[in-house]
Amino acid sequence: MTGKPYRLPAGVAGGTMGRSIDRIQRLSFSFDGKTFAGHPGDTVASAMMASGVRLFGRSFKYHRPRGVIGSAADEPNALISVGAGARHEPNLRATQVELFDGLVARSQNNWPSLNWDVGAFNSKLSRLFPAGFYYKTFMWPASAWMFYEHIIRRAAGLGTAPTRPDPDTYEHMHATCDVLVVGGGVAGLAAAQAAASTGARVMLAEETARFGGSADISGGTIDGKPQTEWAGSVAADLAKADNVHLLPRTIAAGHFHQNWCLLLERVSDHDPSLADGGAPRHRLWRVRAKEIVLASGALERPIAFANNDRPGVLLASAARTFIARYGVSPGTRGVVFTNNDDAYRTALALTQAGVSVPRLVDTRANPEGALIDLARDAGIDIATGTAVTNVEASGGGRNIEAVKVAPYQHGGRIAGGEERIDCDFVCVSGGFNPVAHLYCHTSGKLRFDETLQTFRPGETNDALRVVGAANGTFDLADGLKEAFDGGIAAAKSALGASAKSASAGKAPKAASEHEGALEPVWFVPATGTLNEGNKHFIDFQNDVTAADLELAVREGYRSVEHIKRYTTLGMATDQGKTSNINALGVLTDTLQSPIPQIGTTTFRPPYTPISMGAITGTKTKRLFQPVRRTPPYQWHLDNGADFEPVGQWRRPYSYLRNGEDREAAIKREILATRRAVALLDASTLGKIELKGPDAGEFLDRIYSNIFSSLKIGKARYGLMLNEDGFLMDDGVTVRLGDDHFLMHTTSGGSDRIAGWLEEWLQTEWFDLKVFVTPVTEQWAQFALAGPKARKVLEKLDSNIDFSAEGFEFLSMKEGTLAGHPVRAFRISFSGELSYEIATPADYGMSLWTTFLEAGREFGIEAYGTEALHILRAEKGFIVVGDESDGTVTPIDLGLNWAVSKKKPDYLGKRSLQRPHQSAEGRKQLVGLLTEDPQQVLPDGAYAVAQVKDAPPMDMIGQVTSTYWSPTLERSIAMALIEDGRNRMGDVLEFPLEGGEVMRAKVVEPIFYDREGERQNG
Amino acid sequence: MADAKLIGALAHRGDVERQPGLSITLKVVTGRGMIDLRGNAADAKFMAAAKSAIGVALPTAPRTSATKGDVTVLWLSIDQWLVTLPREKLTKTFAALRKKTEGMFALATDMSDARTVIRLSGDGAREVLMKGTSVDMLAPDVIQGTVRRMLFAEIAAACHVVGAEPDVLDLYVFRSYADYAWEWLLATARSGARVRLYGPQDIPTT
Amino acid sequence: MLLITCPVCGVEGDETEFHAGGEAHIKRPATTDPENVTDEAQRDYLYMRKNPRGIHFERWMCARGCGKWFHAARDTVTMEFKAFYGAREPAPDLGGTASPKAATPRKTAARRKKAGGA
Repeated sequence: MTGKPYRLPAGVAGGTMGRSIDRIQRLSFSFDGKTFAGHPGDTVASAMMASGVRLFGRSFKYHRPRGVIGSAADEPNALISVGAGARHEPNLRATQVELFDGLVARSQNNWPSLNWDVGAFNSKLSRLFPAGFYYKTFMWPASAWMFYEHIIRRAAGLGTAPTRPDPDTYEHMHATCDVLVVGGGVAGLAAAQAAASTGARVMLAEETARFGGSADISGGTIDGKPQTEWAGSVAADLAKADNVHLLPRTIAAGHFHQNWCLLLERVSDHDPSLADGGAPRHRLWRVRAKEIVLASGALERPIAFANNDRPGVLLASAARTFIARYGVSPGTRGVVFTNNDDAYRTALALTQAGVSVPRLVDTRANPEGALIDLARDAGIDIATGTAVTNVEASGGGRNIEAVKVAPYQHGGRIAGGEERIDCDFVCVSGGFNPVAHLYCHTSGKLRFDETLQTFRPGETNDALRVVGAANGTFDLADGLKEAFDGGIAAAKSALGASAKSASAGKAPKAASEHEGALEPVWFVPATGTLNEGNKHFIDFQNDVTAADLELAVREGYRSVEHIKRYTTLGMATDQGKTSNINALGVLTDTLQSPIPQIGTTTFRPPYTPISMGAITGTKTKRLFQPVRRTPPYQWHLDNGADFEPVGQWRRPYSYLRNGEDREAAIKREILATRRAVALLDASTLGKIELKGPDAGEFLDRIYSNIFSSLKIGKARYGLMLNEDGFLMDDGVTVRLGDDHFLMHTTSGGSDRIAGWLEEWLQTEWFDLKVFVTPVTEQWAQFALAGPKARKVLEKLDSNIDFSAEGFEFLSMKEGTLAGHPVRAFRISFSGELSYEIATPADYGMSLWTTFLEAGREFGIEAYGTEALHILRAEKGFIVVGDESDGTVTPIDLGLNWAVSKKKPDYLGKRSLQRPHQSAEGRKQLVGLLTEDPQQVLPDGAYAVAQVKDAPPMDMIGQVTSTYWSPTLERSIAMALIEDGRNRMGDVLEFPLEGGEVMRAKVVEPIFYDREGERQNG
Repeated sequence: MADAKLIGALAHRGDVERQPGLSITLKVVTGRGMIDLRGNAADAKFMAAAKSAIGVALPTAPRTSATKGDVTVLWLSIDQWLVTLPREKLTKTFAALRKKTEGMFALATDMSDARTVIRLSGDGAREVLMKGTSVDMLAPDVIQGTVRRMLFAEIAAACHVVGAEPDVLDLYVFRSYADYAWEWLLATARSGARVRLYGPQDIPTT
Repeated sequence: MLLITCPVCGVEGDETEFHAGGEAHIKRPATTDPENVTDEAQRDYLYMRKNPRGIHFERWMCARGCGKWFHAARDTVTMEFKAFYGAREPAPDLGGTASPKAATPRKTAARRKKAGGA
């Protein structure tokens, strides 16, 4: 790493070089621990190059030294990590990272250091790294892959992921626009201006911090002004407009069906102080555009010649960009190698900047045109019909000393002796490829253009227009007209009749040098003896050479998609930006078929990588997912609630008091319920009101039992089956009036069942007149259970008669209780005397504390979901989702009494009659008592027909619920066992992990108060 | 013994009155009664009965509302409305509605506590909502009185445009999600994260 | 991200505002004649589904809007919606094949205006 200053003096070329940087202010940053200086406006790449740094990283497979090739998103080599600690982000292109004071960057893919790289040993072993190397070498023996993988990943990884939580914030933003313009170059600006003039809502996304694209490196004029001046005035007009939104530093990452796009805005990467002020780091835009204008420009492609990956070989347009924008020269003496006119602009720019151009090497025999004349007039030595064949470098390939050039004949033959030209950098141009990635993400099909020797947009189903260089229209005037017309057409199409037409104006008029045709050149053979040092790189990021592609073909690969996967061409973060077409060009010779017949590989989103943080957006930490709270939530929180998720709800599993553990808390809660009184927050129970003349009939079709006969004020437990005949939900439904019912569902099923009811009414039983209104959120609901429940209620002011005679089991009353409007139900899921009291949600907290105060003298406790589950299991009540899993019928559960034989039809009835569902010997619900009462069966344990030394064993069923019962002071369990009801009294064996076998006796699934007397108080 | 007390879903929060560092103002709207009303809009008798009980004709155009005095009716569906009114008027109006629609195919439910209403006011309020919804709150047809149901921050919500220029938006979310929605708004309405879509911007670099 | 128009309330929105309900126009045999549903008829009703390359008639619900179910005809090749129609309406005759050319956003926009005014 030498320290030669490559920053051009401010006064060079009339002060036109380095227009993006502020030369007065200086910024300091570090790369691999070494301090560098730069200016505001620099990128990490330009600032380091200004200090003479060439080496930015080591290549993926061979660990060859690599430098900058491009100047933007196309950069495959100069991948760096930026930020320290938790803010560390790998795989950023140094050419895109804007400099700020204090920036910390590191190189990647080298160990132990960039300059002395152990992996470079791979370069010497490169015969061992041919195409498909990984497949061939490490696939056998299969068991060794785990070992190899570890080493390969460590040596070959593209940077490392941060290990600590990301401290930054991210967010999403949605937007709808009439016209989305992608690309803020002159074509994008023209399209946006045209579209906006019709009154359309326009969004313009530009990948970099600045609008204007290649205006500053292209020459030519627009409306008589230099391109940059025109771009500046249009961008300013668009910024002022109230129907335009400009998005700098925003990549259009993906295009999806019906013009839905993902854009990533890097809000504060370039200025960390913004994040300190509350700005997110990245913002992911989810944009629906009626029309899209794609003005994403074109990327230059290299030509493959021997050692074309040496640091200092870069694209001609990139060299020009570094000079014009940052005032940085890639070196002191540069050879320009081209097959087209555009690179002449680079030779001219270098000359103007005072950088020596010893030779301009052009493969074409007779190039003619304005740019060629300009170069000749500037005294540049032009060698026509010539190609660069090799690069000589010293210092382990790090320092270019010279290139070799030789006469070149159309078709790729070298015809004559080599000449050596001293230089320290090489600018190469093989032509330009339209950036059509977004166009291809959904339906766009590319077509091959023989003149441009590249793929251009062809047909698409999308409301998307491609303009300018992205469409292969490289002439400035033609491109601007296409962009302007595209903008107008897109806006008119989006707005229809409401488009304004008057202010649309005229297309900008541009003038630029006419350019001659390019010559297709993909590969220049090396002269002399071939050896490993002479690699022709096609894909720099994935280290794929021309020889690899040829080898893949020799080994029988024909489809470009297969060759891609075999060689890893065009993969990873780069997605083949510089390599795809060149690979096809090489393959066309090897496969001896033209490029259009070989086809191209698929471009997939994202165009460039987007951060995981942006995908997550706001949804982290407390906003990771929506969480539902019941009305007394704060009381639970303040009183030791140990919450568990139930769907999106958080319910107290138990309440931990004074340092007790869960087991002790649950025991206390259960014994209070059985011996005194306890209070459960059951607000999460689904509640749905149904009303209409056909409500009874509807319920008869929804439930497997009958509800139309239910009397007003009475409640009934019902089962719901799906159309497969399996149990899907259960609950108690109450008749509020003649045509009015209140349904309770499980907590988890409330939204689903409301939707289920609507679906049947709206899509099948059109004739039924029933309104369905979910009211879960309106009511707080508490179960007051235990032998002293009635005493608590009778202490409170109420117009409800809570006495045994006045309030029968399975009935409902409305009234007030201690000033709270309530609906009271006598239902019991614990087996104890129990009332469920519902009150409007805002009264919930008040009623909850009222109960606790009133119950204090009776020893009231709040109980959680685990106590609830044990209480019900002691009584043998099922829980949908524990005793049922979507393959269990009510008959399997012994709930025949709730399955009507009279009704001609209800959901699931016909399926229950299918042979398999009505067969003998199905798994049936039983109770289990372990032989050792202290042993608790594990949840889900399998019973087997016969215990063997090792699996497999024939499984005959599984435990569905299993608990230690504080009431019975022993373990209890329920299980689904094949032919279970005929096995009463049998002892089943449950082999566990580790060889232990538990034994349990099959019993009726009810363990407590078999006669059901306790619920009557 | 404690008296019956109404305690809203956000009453536990200390930041309901004032939230520093936000680009807009958030407030909880309290004291409103709400009735969910289902009925057939094509049934003239039902429509007349509802109007006479509520005092406002039910709006039938999708995504609109109707206001008279302190009563506002939000269109929720082709057969569903949300009647909002001062809580002290609720009992009487609810009883009247049930009585006048008796025998008709209609369902009125008191849903006063089922939803929490969060008011977003100030320039950029629509953009704050758009961080959580794909609904285009800047569309020309979103005007004062518009009601939009939406998926907001992964939960069901409805937005009522109470006022425009400056924007006053009432966001209706189900009560159990109120704390989550409030947190979401605090996170996305930070001043430093302000987005002003389509408005004038700084002159960009070229 | 599909763009869907509800023919009931006229709202147009992202598919996340809607709920997909699978193939449309499936008859439930037990609704008309519960006593005489063969095993084959029940099997077809429960499990046999089309998977066409081209027009697919399917059910959607305006989940975050008016809450109503409706039908749509979608081209499974281009993802273009050819029609949105009511849950009680029969499938429209669309020729039954995929169209290579489409201009989806424009068509749905026109439909929205019509439906919105209804």
